[in-house]
Amino acid sequence: MIIRKKYLIYILAIASSFIAAAVTALDSYVGAQSPFIKDPWAFAFGLFFVGAIITILIILMLSIPIHGKSIGSKILDPSFKRIRFIHKKELTNHLIAGLMNAVNTVGYCAIVSQVQDPSVILSFSQIVILYLLLMESITEKDVPTLVEVQSSVIVTFGAILASISLTGGFQFMPILLVFIVVNPTWAVFSIYQRKLKIMKIRNRPNDSINIRFWNVVFTLFFTTIILFIKDIFSSSNHLISGLTSSIHPYYFLLLATTMGTTFFAYVLYIRALGLGKASVNNAIRASTIIFAIPFSILLLKLGYITEFSTDPVMLLIKIIGMILIILGIVSFALTIIKAYIFISIKPGYSSRETMKSLWAIRGVTHVTVTAGRYDFIVKVSTRTLMKGYERIIRKLDEIDAIKKYHWESVLKEWEKI
Amino acid sequence: MISAYILISMQPGKTDKAIKEMRQIDNVAKISIIAGEYDIVVRAQVKNLEELLDVTDKLQTIDGINKTTTQIIEKEISLQ
Repeated sequence: MIIRKKYLIYILAIASSFIAAAVTALDSYVGAQSPFIKDPWAFAFGLFFVGAIITILIILMLSIPIHGKSIGSKILDPSFKRIRFIHKKELTNHLIAGLMNAVNTVGYCAIVSQVQDPSVILSFSQIVILYLLLMESITEKDVPTLVEVQSSVIVTFGAILASISLTGGFQFMPILLVFIVVNPTWAVFSIYQRKLKIMKIRNRPNDSINIRFWNVVFTLFFTTIILFIKDIFSSSNHLISGLTSSIHPYYFLLLATTMGTTFFAYVLYIRALGLGKASVNNAIRASTIIFAIPFSILLLKLGYITEFSTDPVMLLIKIIGMILIILGIVSFALTIIKAYIFISIKPGYSSRETMKSLWAIRGVTHVTVTAGRYDFIVKVSTRTLMKGYERIIRKLDEIDAIKKYHWESVLKEWEKI
Repeated sequence: MISAYILISMQPGKTDKAIKEMRQIDNVAKISIIAGEYDIVVRAQVKNLEELLDVTDKLQTIDGINKTTTQIIEKEISLQ
């Protein structure tokens, strides 16, 4: 199927956030089961312990070839071939992403164990988008444009308004945990998942299915270590409790359902991370808050949660929040400019060296050496034409090897998915 | 796997219909409408040069296409 290119990231991120909303509803139900409501730490361990088992089963099924291509490559990620061991150059990124995911989950559990209504506190986790903007400006050497900052702030505050609940009290420690544990770890986790996705393994683009599988494995490893240390120092029994609950057939089935569904949400999220920055992806994923509404209504109908406020002021605040989220996402979508630059080089200059110089320019997303009328076809992406001139054209002018070039803006684009 | 860019010049007013036909061609990975010397850039991914010839042949039979210029990709660095 060939679809509009700029829609692909939105389709992936929004599909991921829709599944994530379903997972949140499932988590509320599973987390409310007696062994887990008493011990959220055991719940965290159970999620990753059962998650590792169910993920390996799913990935084995996705590895089955049909007409020469694996099921996974047909339905989830065209880059996927089969389950594989991690490559040496992926290891550091997987270790960091796994550690961050484990600390994030433990931080989440610590909050859940301290407050009755975590939505009061966890709505502040949407500020992670602002953390990501700051981190990306350092790690990707890409200073955000005014449009990116404006859109991110709109989405962040919209998400807070849409998800905030007035039923719980304000507590300082859990808020602190969100700001110093949950948000930074999620931001670093997202950045390293993106690094893994844009990495090439044996000259092929890395696939999101293996990335997710290995992340679950490393997260289980670090969660086990963290809980083991906690059990030793606080004379608690979270690890054993998590293990015994996980092997109970009924709880195993519940955990397998939630982690099996989570697998698909993450695979789509990681694929979307390969197409756009983590801050943009997290802004789009804030739509989870909107998708969560039908699932909340379903849980309410089934009697799993208590009736929520129908206070008109509360509803108005939530509606304003949702409008802000949609406006912010649309604003992100409509402000990207792409262009091809066709380049001819002077005789006597190395193509390899010129390729390196072109790749070093910020905003360049593809550099191809071609045989034919042009020596290079470069693809660029920028938020504004002024930034395109300042960052790209000026830098091209500095490359001695270039004889002539011309810029052709992309008006509309389709890509096979 | 061989990748190539096919740069296309169009007759005015026939772009939309031509794009519809291009989207049906196997081995076409990406289609971009551009503003400048060319009107459309098609990215083809084929197993061999014979298949590339099939793609360019099919493109050249589409009504409205004035001229095609094929650029075979020798080396590539990409973010995605």
